[in-house]
Amino acid sequence: MLSRLSFAAQTLASPPVLEFWAGQINKSWSFERSLARVVARHDASADAVTLILRPNRKWRGFEPGQHVNLTVEVDGRRLTRSYSPSKAEGRRGCIEITVKNVPGGSVSTHVCRRINVGDVVELGQAYGEMRVADPEGRAVTGPRLFLAAGSGITPLMAMTRELAARGMPEPVTLYYWCRTRAETCFASELRALAQRFTNFQVHFMLTREAALCDDEREGRIGTVMPAARTADRVFACGPSGFVASARELLAAKVHSFVAESFSPPAIEPGDTGTVRITLARSGRTLEVARGKPLLVALEEHGETPAYGCRMGICNTCACPKSSGATKHLRTGDIDVEPISALRLCVNGASSDLVIEL
Amino acid sequence: MHDRALTAAELDAFAAEIDAVRARTVAALGQKDADYIRGVVKTVRVLGLTGRALLLGGAIGAAWLPAILVPAWLGGVLLLALSKIIENMELAHNVIHGQYDWMRDPSLNGKTYEWDIVATSENWRKTHNHQHHTWTNVRGMDDDVGYGLLRVFPEQRWKRFHLAQPLIAVIFAILFEWGVALQELRLGRWLAGKMTTQKLKEDFSPVGRKMVRQVFKDYILFPALAGPFFLPVLLGAVAANVLRNLWTYTIIFCGHFTADAQTFSKESVIGESRGHWYVRQVRGSSNLSGGPWIDFMSGNLSHQIEHHLFPDVPANRYAAMAVEVREICRRYGVHYNTGSLPKQFGEVIWRILRYALPVERTVRVGAQAAA
Repeated sequence: MLSRLSFAAQTLASPPVLEFWAGQINKSWSFERSLARVVARHDASADAVTLILRPNRKWRGFEPGQHVNLTVEVDGRRLTRSYSPSKAEGRRGCIEITVKNVPGGSVSTHVCRRINVGDVVELGQAYGEMRVADPEGRAVTGPRLFLAAGSGITPLMAMTRELAARGMPEPVTLYYWCRTRAETCFASELRALAQRFTNFQVHFMLTREAALCDDEREGRIGTVMPAARTADRVFACGPSGFVASARELLAAKVHSFVAESFSPPAIEPGDTGTVRITLARSGRTLEVARGKPLLVALEEHGETPAYGCRMGICNTCACPKSSGATKHLRTGDIDVEPISALRLCVNGASSDLVIEL
Repeated sequence: MHDRALTAAELDAFAAEIDAVRARTVAALGQKDADYIRGVVKTVRVLGLTGRALLLGGAIGAAWLPAILVPAWLGGVLLLALSKIIENMELAHNVIHGQYDWMRDPSLNGKTYEWDIVATSENWRKTHNHQHHTWTNVRGMDDDVGYGLLRVFPEQRWKRFHLAQPLIAVIFAILFEWGVALQELRLGRWLAGKMTTQKLKEDFSPVGRKMVRQVFKDYILFPALAGPFFLPVLLGAVAANVLRNLWTYTIIFCGHFTADAQTFSKESVIGESRGHWYVRQVRGSSNLSGGPWIDFMSGNLSHQIEHHLFPDVPANRYAAMAVEVREICRRYGVHYNTGSLPKQFGEVIWRILRYALPVERTVRVGAQAAA
């Protein structure tokens, strides 16, 4: 019935008009976009906030451990960051995400300070290889070793909850690094799970504070070696450096090693050297000089992107950039955000880039 | 006219000052601008729905209460025309320039926005955003100089056909959206045998689809909602589209065809510097004075000069930028062409009438800019 009504409406009016009126009736209604309404929020730790979100019908769900892109509008600009959702306890169809306030981070600050119950955010479709089942969806058995650092806890928390909901069928050990006790998220929930399931152990690893409790320890990964068994399936999530250390320490010694890392793109000062440009549509990867107009650089590699004025006014060569940093060659401004329209003729690469060509 | 040729150093300094105005404005873009353009979207949608509801309600309701037909029809036509004018000018034209791309809102994306007019956004991005804005008023490169139809500058070669242009200009005004839709097809080249029929067919296919969509939406589906009372609704939709055509034509012709607007030869733009490009934009464009209402209803093309200097800066900022641009132009002795709508459009009409005849020069001399 709803789909018939939607079809009838789409015959009568153009999609943007319908989209506008749907949004006027209810901010989280959309014929095209997957949006979610904030139905509750609470503090997860001293500097993290948990949002409970109710997605609209366009959202296709997730598996615990996967990531979603959350888009919020900050000072008129839409900004996107990846988070790892969990199923919200006691609310059917809702998910929860925990956002750690990063000093100077515009999205996390906006979410922690400004987002309120009733606000609507955009929610991308879930992606990522960190999940309880294997990529074909089959259940996987065997002991698991979870290594989390900072906000890397969220996908592992989602997987822990999922396994707890199944009665913790196999042993799970979680090592969770934070600088201080106050920055640790989900501490009471994790301790309660450790009490409830003999199969589940948690170790809080503190790097800038002394350990006090039995389940706390001190030191960075590398100085404290997690006890790994050859049968372990290791899942690691945290900053790039952390994941690299974990991989080096464990990857060769265990059954499997799945990791995800997050770090801002590395911008090296100056306009020398080369960067790698990935053309997402054609799948080509090119090595180009940093700071050279991208349009020229692409043409030198035999690409033929559409162009017009070649001076930054007509917008013909603009294409979306999914990741990486670019420099506007006239103003010198660096842009690290994914953008929908990067003008190739007046921008050069400042880091490795992924563009939609 | 106080135009004088600027030295290369002066042109560089001029460009630096214009760039600085731009940088200050772009740095200040934020929530205010986002709220503004969303307010425009809302205005367009609400006016459009109300206008269509009045046309339908009046046509059907008149069966019982004949007295409401005329006032509801007039109100409906006016609101629907306003909705289309604001959509075409303040919303679509500016969005298609990529002015609001910084928001990253998919509904305001310059590369994908499709407007409520028979011309396709895709062709507009090519003829207008690229050719017209890069080669503004360069004869032989900017198709908008007389739209390949009218002779509005003495430098354009006179043909006997131009004797009919006072009449052609009126027909062109009434059917303006169709003219814009056909412009990119370059029918003249096809007629002259410079383009194959196959190529014309390929080029026409997306334009034809858009035409069918617009005609179906406004002239078939919408009147059909009134059932047997379709006729006033159909006439109302035609009237609203024609009103929009007349207004947009008036505003757009004032942008580059006023008495003081200049055209340029192809030779004069070879190797032009950024400063020279900026000066050409100012000398080839003309503003409309009159304040906030004319700014809004013209989609800020009342600031045609600022629009040509900063085509990708949100147009709601032009009024503030104009104060600085005008002052910079005064210091460099670059003529800043502005006037009321009646004055500027009067000059356009004068050009259309005068250059219908095989005259070579106006009274004013020096229509050629210093290269």
